[in-house]
Amino acid sequence: MGKVVLEVKDFSFRYRQTKQKAIKNISFQVEEGSFFCIIGANGSGKSTLCNALVGLIPHYFVGKMSGEVFVNGMKVEDSTIADLSAKIGLVFQNPFNQLSYTAGTVAEELAYGLGNRGVSHEEMVKKVEYVAKLMRIDHVIHKNPLELSGGQIQRVALGSTFIMEPRVLVLDECTTQLDPLGSEEIFDIVKSLNQKGITVIMVDHEMERVARCADKIMVLDGGEIVAIDIPERIFETPDIVKHRIGVPDYVKICQSLREKGYTKREIEIAEEPTIELVKEALKG
Amino acid sequence: MAKISNSFVPKDTIIEELNPMTKILAVFSLGLGTLIFPNSWLGLIIIIGLFFVAYLAKTLKDFTKIMFGFGIPITVMLMFIQGCYSPKNVTIIAEFGFLQVGLEGVLYAFKIISTLLVFLGTFYIMNKTTYTGKLVAALTNSGLPPKAGYLVLASLNVVPQMQRRMEVIQEAQGARGVEIGGGIIARIKAYIPLLGPVVMSALTDAQERGMTLETRGFGITGVKQTSYVEVTQSNLDRILKAILILFFIIVVILTVLMKLNII
Repeated sequence: MGKVVLEVKDFSFRYRQTKQKAIKNISFQVEEGSFFCIIGANGSGKSTLCNALVGLIPHYFVGKMSGEVFVNGMKVEDSTIADLSAKIGLVFQNPFNQLSYTAGTVAEELAYGLGNRGVSHEEMVKKVEYVAKLMRIDHVIHKNPLELSGGQIQRVALGSTFIMEPRVLVLDECTTQLDPLGSEEIFDIVKSLNQKGITVIMVDHEMERVARCADKIMVLDGGEIVAIDIPERIFETPDIVKHRIGVPDYVKICQSLREKGYTKREIEIAEEPTIELVKEALKG
Repeated sequence: MAKISNSFVPKDTIIEELNPMTKILAVFSLGLGTLIFPNSWLGLIIIIGLFFVAYLAKTLKDFTKIMFGFGIPITVMLMFIQGCYSPKNVTIIAEFGFLQVGLEGVLYAFKIISTLLVFLGTFYIMNKTTYTGKLVAALTNSGLPPKAGYLVLASLNVVPQMQRRMEVIQEAQGARGVEIGGGIIARIKAYIPLLGPVVMSALTDAQERGMTLETRGFGITGVKQTSYVEVTQSNLDRILKAILILFFIIVVILTVLMKLNII
């Protein structure tokens, strides 16, 4: 196992206004540079967990908490959200609510967090240019963020988080409100960041994408972990659907071919191997 | 730079290039100078000067509209009230039937009008020629707490977003059969079912925006915050600031001397 960048130990949390725990005694570790996906039905505790990872729990949301969360060895409970923002960043669903509303241009929006840290103007300009290119928004850098499309605003939000130089990015259903094209653009960028060594923790309902990209998948149900494993093993488990989890179409095709005796091969979770498998089955 | 919440539109003029603090100093120095000066002549001279500044700022047309649009009705109103009914009136300069116009009231009305127009004119030019981000950056550099600066910017910028949200909710309600068009009464009625969803979504949005700000270091303390918007101070700024301060000191001295009947 590689270096652990994030560790959750016996973590539980109950919001002040609720009687039930949103998260129940969960423990897991995330390796540096990995692509870690969290899946689960609505209300399974995914967003609560994301908030806990970046320090919004316990510093922003009030409730009863037990257990510990460490990011790069830094105990979340003992750090401020601002300090944690240099280690871990969060991007969530609604692009419009991730604007600071202090900026007249995309460049100013990207630079907002750096300004709060007191970064010099020269350094700020360099970083803004670099991140704008990386997020493919350099052509709209002088535009008002409110004039952009949802997908572009989400890229601005991702850029504004990434410019703080976190080593871990938490993406809480950040493509849910986008059209398929905007969604894929965000995902391509996230994938390229992961290839640059950034650890990605992604909550997503798009199972094809999760299966394709995740190094590991964690399944949550009712605030508890029901499985953590590589995608192939997660999706070949027949019981997985009991937790209101969708299964990628490729997996369904493979399972169907196996059940009917056309193949004995392992479950495939990507397009090309599945086509090969179907071809083989047809020949047979 | 894009247009955002205020009426600023980049026009690349010498007035636009000035440091926002110079413009703020001009608003207060000229406005307060006019206010304390015993007569309206100073205000009148400044107003003529402001037309020239507006010309330099390429806003003369709009500036003229606002000055006359505000100036004419307020002049008529104050002239009538002060000229005819001021208790200071001793010297009668005109009579219209039962109405007598007093010189003291007219002069006092002129004084009020010129002061109001100097404040309005200077503020209008400042607003038209200053990018809000630059203004807040300049204020923050001058010691305004960053949180106060955020309040100024965010409250201006969040309005278009709220308007957009209202339109979306209204369209959604319209699609479900709620009457959103028609006469004034129908339109007023249409706003009532809007209130609940707009207020609730605004509260949810506020929570998420709070989360965004926190994760971008809004709560950092002990750091002098910086801005992407560069605020520079040219030699012209320094000269103008010195002139404006000197102007105000001279006005104060002249006012004291005039009040003491020395000049």
